[in-house]
Amino acid sequence: MMHSLHKKGLRLLGIVLAVAGFIPSAHAQMPNDAIYMGKNTACIAVSYTHSSWDKYWENSLKRENLNIGTHTTQSVMPMLAVGITKNLNAIVAVPYIWTQASAGNLKWHKGIQDGSLWLKYRFLNKSGFSLHAIGGASIPLTDYIPDFMPMSIGMQCKTATARLLASYRHKSGVYLTASGSYIFRSKITIDRDSYQADGKLYNTNKVSVPNAYDASARLGYLKKGIQAEGFIEHGACDGGDYIRRNDMPFPTNNMKSTVVGVYAKFQPKNIGVNARASHVIEGRNMGQATTYSVGVLYQFRYAKEAKN
Amino acid sequence: MKINYISIRQSITRLVLPALSVMMLWSCSKTVDEPSAGINTPSSLDEKAGTWKPYVLASSGEFAVAEPREISSDYYKTELTKLKEAVNAVTPQQREQINYWGAGAVYRWNEIGRELAARYNSPPASTPDGKYPVPDAANPLKDPKFPFANPPYTARALAYLSVAQYDALVAAWNYKFKYNRKAPSKNDTSIKTLLPVSDLPSYPSEDAVVAEVSAIILKAMFPGEVAYLDAKLAEHKSSRMWAGMNVESDIIAGSDLGKAVGAKVMARARTDKMGAANNQAQTAGMIANAKKIGVTEPWVSQEFPPRPPMLPTYGFVKTWNFDSATVVALRPEAPPVIGSPAFQKDMNELLAIAKNQTREQARIASFWSDGVGSYTPPGHWHRKGADLCHDNKYSEVRTARTLALLGTTLQDAGICCWDVKYFYYYPRPNQMSSKIKTSVGLPNFPSYTSGHSTFSGAAAELLAHIFPDKKQEVDAMASEASVSRIYGMIHYRFDCEVGLASGHKIGGFAVQRAKTDGAE
Repeated sequence: MMHSLHKKGLRLLGIVLAVAGFIPSAHAQMPNDAIYMGKNTACIAVSYTHSSWDKYWENSLKRENLNIGTHTTQSVMPMLAVGITKNLNAIVAVPYIWTQASAGNLKWHKGIQDGSLWLKYRFLNKSGFSLHAIGGASIPLTDYIPDFMPMSIGMQCKTATARLLASYRHKSGVYLTASGSYIFRSKITIDRDSYQADGKLYNTNKVSVPNAYDASARLGYLKKGIQAEGFIEHGACDGGDYIRRNDMPFPTNNMKSTVVGVYAKFQPKNIGVNARASHVIEGRNMGQATTYSVGVLYQFRYAKEAKN
Repeated sequence: MKINYISIRQSITRLVLPALSVMMLWSCSKTVDEPSAGINTPSSLDEKAGTWKPYVLASSGEFAVAEPREISSDYYKTELTKLKEAVNAVTPQQREQINYWGAGAVYRWNEIGRELAARYNSPPASTPDGKYPVPDAANPLKDPKFPFANPPYTARALAYLSVAQYDALVAAWNYKFKYNRKAPSKNDTSIKTLLPVSDLPSYPSEDAVVAEVSAIILKAMFPGEVAYLDAKLAEHKSSRMWAGMNVESDIIAGSDLGKAVGAKVMARARTDKMGAANNQAQTAGMIANAKKIGVTEPWVSQEFPPRPPMLPTYGFVKTWNFDSATVVALRPEAPPVIGSPAFQKDMNELLAIAKNQTREQARIASFWSDGVGSYTPPGHWHRKGADLCHDNKYSEVRTARTLALLGTTLQDAGICCWDVKYFYYYPRPNQMSSKIKTSVGLPNFPSYTSGHSTFSGAAAELLAHIFPDKKQEVDAMASEASVSRIYGMIHYRFDCEVGLASGHKIGGFAVQRAKTDGAE
């Protein structure tokens, strides 16, 4: 049983679309590229993500669970990205998520998860090299159940993310991007007033969820309406405990994963499509998910160019 | 619009910085506050508790406790001097431990018992060949850990813990008032104790009695925790000297008495048929019997691979407040025939919840789930009982009595319920319809009657008697615990209603004992 690893995220190319959020409930998506929309332009995008696993890491033990079978998380996420200035973009997104298990008796969950807001600021841009400060926040939008893992759709944390991103793009269109982030996660309240964590019994309904961090590197090609990229991402919690032997996962678990994937986008004009595939190659306290997502996007001007 | 520098700076100071610091506060603090039990100051000495009726001891005087030395003796005076030195040298860490144990000896050991139950409440994983290894008491830390502290196991562990504490304290109270040795600080007023002192005689130490007897029971029930329990035992006993509450001879006399009582209580535990409670060979006969009495589709495990049902012969384990013939006499009438209108009505209720479980139903189901990794329903009720005793400033011996009554009726409820479950071998709703999935986890044993309901009915009946002003509250808790199993979609309503009524009847036997044990 595992918290799913639905990877979804945003890709922003003067626009948006799906990229990886590491722990789904921690942040449903995040901008992690060096691409900006121009001032007064906006983009609406919708992505569909399908993520599934039939093996997971119970602490470090990789195992299957015949009472889960294949665990699947799907989501649909509308997003809006806005170019405020050429160096400042904002992104909002709200995912609808539903979980399923092919075996066993655990109830499937579904619902609107956490709304997120991202601000992305390019503070240095010189000879193809750029540096970006990115801040994000997310907040649960519904009263979904956080501790019925792995069927829960999220963890009910409020989060705040601080990210630094560096990118170099050659004239040929080849680019290399690296980023690192720290994710603050709030305590949560569960329906029970007793639970186990850190080998201890807590007699309260408040649960301390560990903070998290991630790092990524991506190598790709971007020119005109075409983008293609390969990436590797690593995420982990800053502390936390592990899944006890043959027990359920819990929001206090230190979920770790290393993910590799590819991403492509084609946007000849205002309308574009993109696709993403990724696979967890190593993990702890989570499922070994394989994830696919596809999206469509529409870019438009929301105001006339200001005259100087 | 013109924005001047000052106004930007002001808005940063006024808005942004406070907002940021609030955010950092909620995101950075990683400690959670738990309700902390304050130091207990018993409202009564319960002087007559030495005459209360014990469970396992023949009488409160069964084990001799030697007469203490005179307070005028050099020996005692030396003890007082040593005690004073210990109090004066208390470290902040010792001070914390003094306060921790000051919440109550029975209270804390009950809490330790519940925590161990939760930590050991893990069902064994299946092996690659599709089998489930049985935990081995001789290798308690080897996977699967021993014990699997499921609800019947935990009910029994906590019953023995509470009974042993109670019997030991009844014996201790007998000697306390027989020898009447005053507290050290009453004999030497220069001792500045770190906990409140009452007129309760200090020999033998009630804390040492409880610590010793509790450690014996818990080490037997959780043999992988011997080192942990020994450390707790040593800390508890020492804390009483650091606090200036007991001299060493008070502690030693209490320890010796605790050991003697613990051994006698464990002798009962070794012959109560728990060792034979997992007799899977009997299930074939049970299933045949269920079919004979009209259960057309007996229970089968819904796990993959199928898991042998939990403790099928726990219904034959020795009860506390009545005999084995009464277990059979208390067996409720048969559940509805599968497919009958009564069956269908309750099945339809579950199908409707499966389609549209409300958030409130999910909350109630989760609050009472008490499943894998928890202290189980018996633990949930022990927590309630211990908290009520603490809130009501009960003495150690009255707290132990309450928890012994509660613990024994909870185990009685478990035994009776398991008898019913394996007599009727009735299928879970999830076996009858794959549309019904659970929001709490599916227990691996027959459905009728609900264990939660039976445990809770018994506990509420007993607690309402001890705390009449809480009757409404505990009855409401029991009803909610019962119905939570419908909301969680693992029980039919008839499982719950019949189970709850049975529980109340079972609790009545403990109430009967309470009326005649000399404490009321």
